[in-house]
Amino acid sequence: MRKCWQCGGEVAPADALCPSCGKVQPPIPAGTQVDKFALLGFGQSLDLDEAALDEKFRGLSRKLHPDRFARASAQERRYSLEQTTLLNDAYKTLKDPARRAEHLLELRGVKGEPKMSPEFLEQTLEDRERLMEAKASGQPLDELARGVREKRDATLAEARALLGNGGDLSRAAELIARMRYYARYLDEVEGRGAEI
Amino acid sequence: MAALFEISEPGASHAKEACTTGAVGIDLGTTNSLVAIVLGDGKPHALAVDEGSTLLPSVVHYAPQGGPGSVVVGREARRRAADYPRDTIVSVKRFMGRSSADPETRRLSPYQFAAGQSGVVRFEVNGGRVVNPVEVSAEILRALRSRAEERLGIKVQQAVITVPAYFDDAQRQATKEAGRLAGLEVLRLLNEPTAAALAYGLDKRSQGTFAVYDLGGGTFDISILKLVEGLFEVKAVGGDSALGGDDFDRALAEILLGSEERTPRRVREAIDAAKQAKEDLTRAESVEVWGRKITRARLEEAIKPLIEKTGPACRRALRDAGVPEGKGLDGVILVGGSTRVPAVRRFVRELFGMEPLADIDPDEVVALGAAVQADLLTSESPQHDVLLLDVTPLSLGLETMGGLVEKLILRNTTIPTNAAQEFTTFADGQTGMDIHVLQGERELVTDCRSLAKFTLGGIPPLPAGLARVAVTFQVDADGILSVTAREQLTGVSQTITVKPSHGLTDEEIERMLLSSIEHAEEDVQARLLIDNRVEAQRILKAAETQLESNGDLLSPEERAQIESQMAALVLATQGSDHHQIKEQIERLDHASAEFARRVMDRGIERALKGHSVGEFDQGEMSPHAKKAYEALERQEK
Repeated sequence: MRKCWQCGGEVAPADALCPSCGKVQPPIPAGTQVDKFALLGFGQSLDLDEAALDEKFRGLSRKLHPDRFARASAQERRYSLEQTTLLNDAYKTLKDPARRAEHLLELRGVKGEPKMSPEFLEQTLEDRERLMEAKASGQPLDELARGVREKRDATLAEARALLGNGGDLSRAAELIARMRYYARYLDEVEGRGAEI
Repeated sequence: MAALFEISEPGASHAKEACTTGAVGIDLGTTNSLVAIVLGDGKPHALAVDEGSTLLPSVVHYAPQGGPGSVVVGREARRRAADYPRDTIVSVKRFMGRSSADPETRRLSPYQFAAGQSGVVRFEVNGGRVVNPVEVSAEILRALRSRAEERLGIKVQQAVITVPAYFDDAQRQATKEAGRLAGLEVLRLLNEPTAAALAYGLDKRSQGTFAVYDLGGGTFDISILKLVEGLFEVKAVGGDSALGGDDFDRALAEILLGSEERTPRRVREAIDAAKQAKEDLTRAESVEVWGRKITRARLEEAIKPLIEKTGPACRRALRDAGVPEGKGLDGVILVGGSTRVPAVRRFVRELFGMEPLADIDPDEVVALGAAVQADLLTSESPQHDVLLLDVTPLSLGLETMGGLVEKLILRNTTIPTNAAQEFTTFADGQTGMDIHVLQGERELVTDCRSLAKFTLGGIPPLPAGLARVAVTFQVDADGILSVTAREQLTGVSQTITVKPSHGLTDEEIERMLLSSIEHAEEDVQARLLIDNRVEAQRILKAAETQLESNGDLLSPEERAQIESQMAALVLATQGSDHHQIKEQIERLDHASAEFARRVMDRGIERALKGHSVGEFDQGEMSPHAKKAYEALERQEK
């Protein structure tokens, strides 16, 4: 717990606004682990209600955005800028299932690039080849996409179970890294992501 | 004042209160500029500032004599343009952030550019005066300000000024600077399409996802916005900062001029005639110009390629926003006078599959939205609970080894935002690091726009890779970037707000963005080549160091073999085939594997202080030594 700079009331680390007086608070000091779930008022979980997340983000933006502090003191304007920056970053992380999962692992102490099994890499190469062939010959891609979507869903289910029951976290990390491959593949099917 | 009270009738009691704040919205346009203010009725009104019209032509004429009255802005200035083409600056916004060496700048442009300034556009006008685009823009703002003060009978000191969503950091800074020169406190720079949506959102209480198609005199912007309960989220922006109605005029002027000799005066006359013809052809099927009949079909044929240039940016913005083409849009808002051209409306209708909205005057809508924003920022109790969440128009990054760009903030990221990245030193004993900030979508530094360069000094001299420098980017709510570099051990740090001298641009943003897709494959190849070259240099350096300090572990034959592989790798790095380099890296790796093992052994031996490695079984090894062995095994694979 921290103390509010204005009224001295108690403020939780993830609180951007003082619950007692409503003043904007300085952000969590740099270098401290940020729980982006808590920042947006959610518990740590792989599954989030997207509509509730959007709603929460909008609600907090309304209160924290620098435009709301155009007439406030320089200190409050700075806090508002820093808090909104954190909020935007947290929202971006939670909005994307793969990033959300990576953050969840990070909060549980798993960091860095997980090792991918050669079998999996081989499988993705094959999937990709088939996609290229289908694209070149103008075949419909729905069938391929469905196959990958099924794999993705099964992977997600396994990762969810591991994270839920405190299972093998490094296995979970690999599964989540696989989600990225699937996401990229599906982006390609839908003609996105040729850039970057 | 009488006129004011007429407009503000519905909420007359608030009129005075609302007006004394004197916060206006300004649309500083390429062709026309406007000023608007929210009155007591809570609604924005554009003010008549030029001969009874709300449109002030963005034309500045510099008359021969100095002193007051020597600068004329608006219609009167436009009338003088044909007689004094070199002393009358039109469409100055197109020169913001442009280099005078730019072929587009010179094309059909009658101005006399002042010499001696590398890359800076400076106009030489009457009486030997030299003015830059910021100063010319400030004249337009000054005119808007004083004429608004006349209309309102109060002082105007604060303004929200709109900029194309596509404006980069330099162009935004230049706009702010122009505001300051004109004696205005710039409360906020607001993206034009966002302003337009603001005007529409308030009037219609719209909810949903909207595209704002803004084709003005000199710029094209497409924005995808999501509106929920008074909160505008900009999902994606895109466009072309050098495309607009002026190009339509020029295309038609080309036809009119034909093979005629092109004096500055004749060019200006042709453009004026073309502009008039274009406007008349919005209603008429054909017009007479310079004794020739020009049909609407002829005009449309001439401008078709220009209109079609807006298509790819629209599709990309939809994709970036995650809006499937043909579905998911609730409306398309038209902004900019050029959207009056029937061919443009037809194109938009076909592209988005729906009839575009054009209820609000497309010339005024941006200024009206800016006035609303100015009101929101200054009212004690805002009458509308509206908030705008904007995004970065282009990716921001840093130069890394080998002339590559490492992107820290991707385009279309909601602002304010920040990002940090750690870099290490490349050479032993390196005490300074060059920080080069870039903007753009391409992979190579040379293809992106340079925003700033500075050197962080005072890094402690350490072996390569040990000193770490954290570079942090912070983008504020105006979209302006500040960069901090901090060395982690000593805490030496340096911060700059990216503020390049205004109007200094050597690259064209739209070209950078459009070409990022065309060149995706080429970029990947270039990146692989550079990556492999850097890797090769690292390995060669390491091998040299080891040969020097541990060369005694090798027989002369072994040494010769490694050295010949090194030579082969050096040769490969001279070429441009990244496969070749990679292959030679692997060969050198292979040739030096045994050497590496011996060096490692010696290292472990030393680490274990006198014990020979042979005394230890694998099981008895210290975790450290074990790790070293494992690393060695991996290397051999």
